[in-house]
Amino acid sequence: MRTPPGVSAVTFADGIAEMKSAVGEEWVFTSDPDVDTYRDFYSVLWGEEDERIASAAVAPKTVEEVQAVVRAANARGIPLYPVSTGRNLGYGGSAPVYSGSVVLDLKRMDRIIEVNEGNASCLVEPGVSYFDMYRHLQETGSKLWIDVPDPGWGSMVGNALDSGGGYTAAPYRGHFEAQCGIEAVMADGELFRTGMGALPGSETWQQYKMGIGPCLDGLFRQSSLGVVTKMGFWLFPQPEAYMSCSVELQRFEDIEPLVDLFNELEYGNIFNGMPSIGSPVLASGNPLIFAEIPEPEEMNRRVRETGLAAWRGSMVFYGPEKVIRAQWEYVQERFAHFEGVKFKENQFVKLPLRPEDMEKIQKNRFGIPSMEIFSVGSRGFGDFNPSDGHIWFSAIIPRSGKGFVKANRVMRQACAEHDVPLFMFSPAVTCWTRSFVLFAAVPVYKDKEKNRRLRESVLKVIQICAEHGWGEYRCPPAFQDAVMDAYSFNNNMLRRVNEKIKDALDPNGILSAGRYGVWPKHLRDGRHA
Amino acid sequence: MISRRDLMKWGAVVPALVGGSARAMAAVPEGLDALVVDSRHAPGVIANPGGVRVLRFDGDVTQLWFETLDPLWRKPGFVLGGITGRDALFVLETLSWDRGRRVVSRKDMPGRSGRMDGPISWVIAPVHPSVKKG
Ligand SMILES: Cc1cc2nc3c(=O)[nH]c(=O)nc-3n(C[C@H](O)[C@H](O)[C@H](O)COP(=O)(O)OP(=O)(O)OC[C@H]3O[C@@H](n4cnc5c(N)ncnc54)[C@H](O)[C@@H]3O)c2cc1C
Repeated sequence: MRTPPGVSAVTFADGIAEMKSAVGEEWVFTSDPDVDTYRDFYSVLWGEEDERIASAAVAPKTVEEVQAVVRAANARGIPLYPVSTGRNLGYGGSAPVYSGSVVLDLKRMDRIIEVNEGNASCLVEPGVSYFDMYRHLQETGSKLWIDVPDPGWGSMVGNALDSGGGYTAAPYRGHFEAQCGIEAVMADGELFRTGMGALPGSETWQQYKMGIGPCLDGLFRQSSLGVVTKMGFWLFPQPEAYMSCSVELQRFEDIEPLVDLFNELEYGNIFNGMPSIGSPVLASGNPLIFAEIPEPEEMNRRVRETGLAAWRGSMVFYGPEKVIRAQWEYVQERFAHFEGVKFKENQFVKLPLRPEDMEKIQKNRFGIPSMEIFSVGSRGFGDFNPSDGHIWFSAIIPRSGKGFVKANRVMRQACAEHDVPLFMFSPAVTCWTRSFVLFAAVPVYKDKEKNRRLRESVLKVIQICAEHGWGEYRCPPAFQDAVMDAYSFNNNMLRRVNEKIKDALDPNGILSAGRYGVWPKHLRDGRHA
Repeated sequence: MISRRDLMKWGAVVPALVGGSARAMAAVPEGLDALVVDSRHAPGVIANPGGVRVLRFDGDVTQLWFETLDPLWRKPGFVLGGITGRDALFVLETLSWDRGRRVVSRKDMPGRSGRMDGPISWVIAPVHPSVKKG
């Protein structure tokens, strides 16, 4: 049996015995083959001494069992790392940030406690996967949609807690923003509820986020302060129709007014689905790799020579057919003055979906979970094999034409200069409505030397981005300290405040140590320059 | 439960099975409850070789897993053989862990070009007490 650092074998064995008596012997895993299933298969530290590896895993079924496990750990200083479904591939998988932690695997807590059709909301346990919820909504004939990330095997809770994103309408596709109400077991085993959940008898836990006083839901986003055991979400009432459309513009110079107008139209509720800004002329090679944006004259020359548009702004409308057709007409009016503008209605789908629609649609735009993303390699899109793995590099950049062009150029050049291989580099993506995010998928290897070079390069790109004011919204554990360091206003006040909260709420430092660069007191020294 | 002997037999019969050999079709070992076939890699496998139910898919395992495998994997028992691409096995293996199962046999097969980029033959069986039979 592996032992967490700083915990004696006797103390650990005693803690494990208490956990076994709380959850049942068969739900505590200590053998290497079992614990190995919690390795991060996309780790940039694969096979190295520093790879983040669990010492054991425990899978409770109820909140009371979670409390018992947390108390057993807290009494002995055993580090715990809670995961919901643990499918955080590209951002750490189910491995702990601090090696030797016991993974608290919440997959078995898979109750859908409530779906409230009238309020379009739900309350779920952490083990409820997107597939579980989809199945439930289908089987009960619900008229509600979930918003899903690309792989459907993750959980509503785990994904939201790492601040994941999806593809439908604005209030739902930022998954932490769509949460309403959290229940968590704190480090001392006490049960805490946020918002209206703190008021006994309240029927509004999933209706009003804030309750009274400071709003504490954010304490659990990308944090190390509690084990979330319930979470509420707002769901999307199925619209009557879906329509995806695009506007194509012909000149480099159009990018700024294009983004500004898109912002006005989305923030003004003229369209409500996820927009994106791409470039047909720059994506004419590998569609997964958005090329470096050239100088204006060069881009305009390529447009003339290829006949492909410089920019494509795509948008989605959800709503009654009459309304969304009128909205699209209005969008066309607003873009009519651009020279050479082309409008395209790409797809119109009446809802609910019919079986024959399933082959034609992009499922995640309809809240349908899928694992299709893992077979893209075989369809000729890049050199993607999911068993090799990749990490995501995800930088938040300004939602403006100028901001997008600059970030694209700086990041593409930084990746080229530091030999960061890419199998995907995104256009301007809008999982969160008020900013863009640029995603790069960077292949990782089962080769230590290649990974060592990759880590050095990624650290340089993080630094370059930070120098321009762009920070990652999420990253794998190997880079979490560096990314948190980049948020350095007032001598890293953000991290220092987080550390104070950590010390107050988890004085023994047992929960998710090191997550997003926040280490408990006893592991902090010497870590930061 | 599939025996060690059957697992070895499985390893031996798969290459011929992929090649569509009629003899191999009859020699699929006992103990397998179903056989998953990735049409990208083994289009020649016929329905019910050796009486075993064949579940076919074409690259994306979503529908097969969601409609067929997941409900079966929630119950005790069910030994599944497969001849699939590496990408599909990655997804199925990871999903199978959630239901107390493990890949108990795994064999790379040469691809069409003779390189090791071909399909993998495998067996996923229940190992956790909550899904082990008997
Ligand atoms: C090809 C590919 C495509 C992807 N596309 C997307 C995408 O479109 N959108 C997206 O968001 N992600 C995407 N991802 C990343 C990732 O796979 C998903 O975000 C996935 O849903 C996260 O795994 P999970 O839901 O099982 O969360 P988990 O792994 O369970 O949780 C994530 C982290 O949150 C914390 N945590 C989880 N549960 C708890 C809890 N109950 N209490 C306290 N802390 C907790 C832990 O630190 C954990 O490591 C993609 C990955 C790949 C490989």
